[in-house]
Amino acid sequence: MERQCIGTTKGPGESAHEYTFITPDPERRIKTGEFVYYEMKVEGKLRQILGRVTQRVPLRLYPDTFMADPGVPPAEIAAMLGFREQHHELFEVSVVVMGYYQPELGDFVNPRVPPESGSPIYIAEDALLAQVLSKKQSGEIGSAYIGWLLSRDPAAVPVNLDVRSITSTHLAIIAGTGAGKSYLASVLIEELMKPYNRACVLIVDPHGEYSTLMEMMGHREFCVDNYQPEVYVVRPDQIRVRISSLELSDFRYLLPNLSEKMHFRLGQTYYAVHRKYGDKWTLGNFMTTLRSGDEEHVVTDPESDTKLEEDPTIGALIWRVNSVFKGSKIFDDFEDMPLTRLFRPGQCTVLQLNEIDQREQQLVVATLLRRLWRARMDTEKGRSKEGENTYLPYPAFVLIEEAHNYAPANAEVVTTGILKTILSEGRKFGVAVGLISQRPGKLDSDVLSQCMTQCIMRIVNPVDQARIAESVESVGRDLLQELPALSKGQAIIAGSAVNTPLLCRVRPRITHHGAEDPDAPARWQQFFSQAETLRRERDQALPLESKRSNRMYK
Amino acid sequence: MRIGKIVKSNSHVDYVCQINNPGEFSALPQPHDYAFGTFVRLELGDESGCLVGLIYSTILMNPEFGSLGPRLSPPSDLEILSPDYLREQATLVSILAIGQVMRNGEVYQGVPLLAASVNAAVETMSPDEIRRFHTLGGRLSLAYMPRLLAEKDAIIPHLLLKVVEQLAVLFPDQKRQLAVLHGNLAWKAAVTPAG
Repeated sequence: MERQCIGTTKGPGESAHEYTFITPDPERRIKTGEFVYYEMKVEGKLRQILGRVTQRVPLRLYPDTFMADPGVPPAEIAAMLGFREQHHELFEVSVVVMGYYQPELGDFVNPRVPPESGSPIYIAEDALLAQVLSKKQSGEIGSAYIGWLLSRDPAAVPVNLDVRSITSTHLAIIAGTGAGKSYLASVLIEELMKPYNRACVLIVDPHGEYSTLMEMMGHREFCVDNYQPEVYVVRPDQIRVRISSLELSDFRYLLPNLSEKMHFRLGQTYYAVHRKYGDKWTLGNFMTTLRSGDEEHVVTDPESDTKLEEDPTIGALIWRVNSVFKGSKIFDDFEDMPLTRLFRPGQCTVLQLNEIDQREQQLVVATLLRRLWRARMDTEKGRSKEGENTYLPYPAFVLIEEAHNYAPANAEVVTTGILKTILSEGRKFGVAVGLISQRPGKLDSDVLSQCMTQCIMRIVNPVDQARIAESVESVGRDLLQELPALSKGQAIIAGSAVNTPLLCRVRPRITHHGAEDPDAPARWQQFFSQAETLRRERDQALPLESKRSNRMYK
Repeated sequence: MRIGKIVKSNSHVDYVCQINNPGEFSALPQPHDYAFGTFVRLELGDESGCLVGLIYSTILMNPEFGSLGPRLSPPSDLEILSPDYLREQATLVSILAIGQVMRNGEVYQGVPLLAASVNAAVETMSPDEIRRFHTLGGRLSLAYMPRLLAEKDAIIPHLLLKVVEQLAVLFPDQKRQLAVLHGNLAWKAAVTPAG
């Protein structure tokens, strides 16, 4: 394909790595986020210096007075005054220089010299962009084809995320309500489960909207000779947390309104039960230890010591422990969700947390992440052997929906600590997280800034926009300005999984989307439909009186 | 109707026309024939056709002005005793050339390539001629207007207002487009200088 010159360099831009060019752009191809290049000799070789369009300013506008009558186009007035050119528009376009792509480095090299004034500017060809924007090509091992470049025709320039980057330096999907964040997350999961990735994924699903991913099992797009993905959905009633896996901080988080004395007694009991029973103990062991008092005042028969029960601190603690643990279905003395069942290559586990209280949700996630983290650490350090519960010899990726509930800003919850640990050190032990949130303003800024790949979709709230701007360094101001203008399914992709920030149109899902909004007006209409009315009348009708019963009354 | 002849020019597009005096031509031009904003034709003489101009100013020449002393001859005797003195009084009008109409009818709007010569006849244009001059490619055209507006003369918006008013009568189909121009010019003529 012959390359097309679309403009002429005017001169340097506002900063050292910017330049401007002038273009009539009659076909309106130069959109914000579009890629253009100029040619320059660098170290004796002719290089194509790529840049991204950041701004487009019209230079010729009709005077306001030409628009005095909405029924008269200003072009007619201009024509009457003698301006009869076909195209009157002229634009000054600002471009931020990315540089030329060096495959050996896997990155762009900025020549640090602006283009000469008057030098031609070309629009980057699809093939060139497909090669340099993504680190991986479609279908390659470790690639995730999530969509295509927004400024080009559908599928012309595929956008492939580098799965290796995501699963070592974490991912954040941030979008307002209805912008398509769970859709994008599902597309990413589909890609992770494709034969060229076969990932080990767990999804924390507080709304129960990822179960449609089960369609991947047996789907021809996902299966090859020796592989087909497994989707394991853990329903809310199947979720179990072994009580002995809870830490003291978990108890403190779960038990409401503890006094100083209660905190002291609780800590004392927790450490005592650990000393006495080791790592595996039951709620009964804990209660017995609680009733036993401290070491200086040992109770001889804790089961029947009514005097101790009358101690207001112990009594109140017992009441609180009972109210939290005895009323909950998720805490169990013996049963736990085995890590080897939850995490397995080629398996996507969907942990459905709907119908579970939010504090318990946080605790489930905290204990699970903690167990995963320890298992990976022990396995990597050779402390656990094959066959043990803590043996997990492959990296895992955990996708957390509504992440602001698990790492909120200005508050510490049970999950915050382990999430921060994984985000800062997870790379060493092969534990990565993907955080999905619709309220980045409510998400801890440290947590957000540790996610090195960002998929940002439409966000209108200025507080959320500001949080993104302060936490996400790799996205330029020019792209962030696009945030409120993005449509559903359009995303800014930036960070370590792509070579440069870009605007992407998310590809259609292979499986069905499970998070469709309910159509309330249609359901209300249906209530009055003839079939529905007849069905109600039939169901509510009194049984016909039989002749025999009539006779009996007579 | 012939109203006078070119006697002077101030530039390539700015001419001075002397209005015919009584006795010079059979039909004596009346003041409304050389009123402000009148379209006139300046004959070029050969195949080049004529220039089209707009009257934008009037000057009265009177050598008697400044001679305040008594005259020996009363005005009634002047025609007999010194007829040359009467001819020294003249009405001059300033004309801006705004285009050219070739002999073959081709119209050009803007700064004309050719200039008129001294004594070139100046005639008023008929409504049909004005309409033809303003029709380019089948559409109403006022391509000379931007050049006139570019001049810093405060009288130009008023002149163009008169032009637009005349054209609104001749081009009823383009009334809305002309109304936009009229509004713009009225603002420039009335509001901008006062603001």
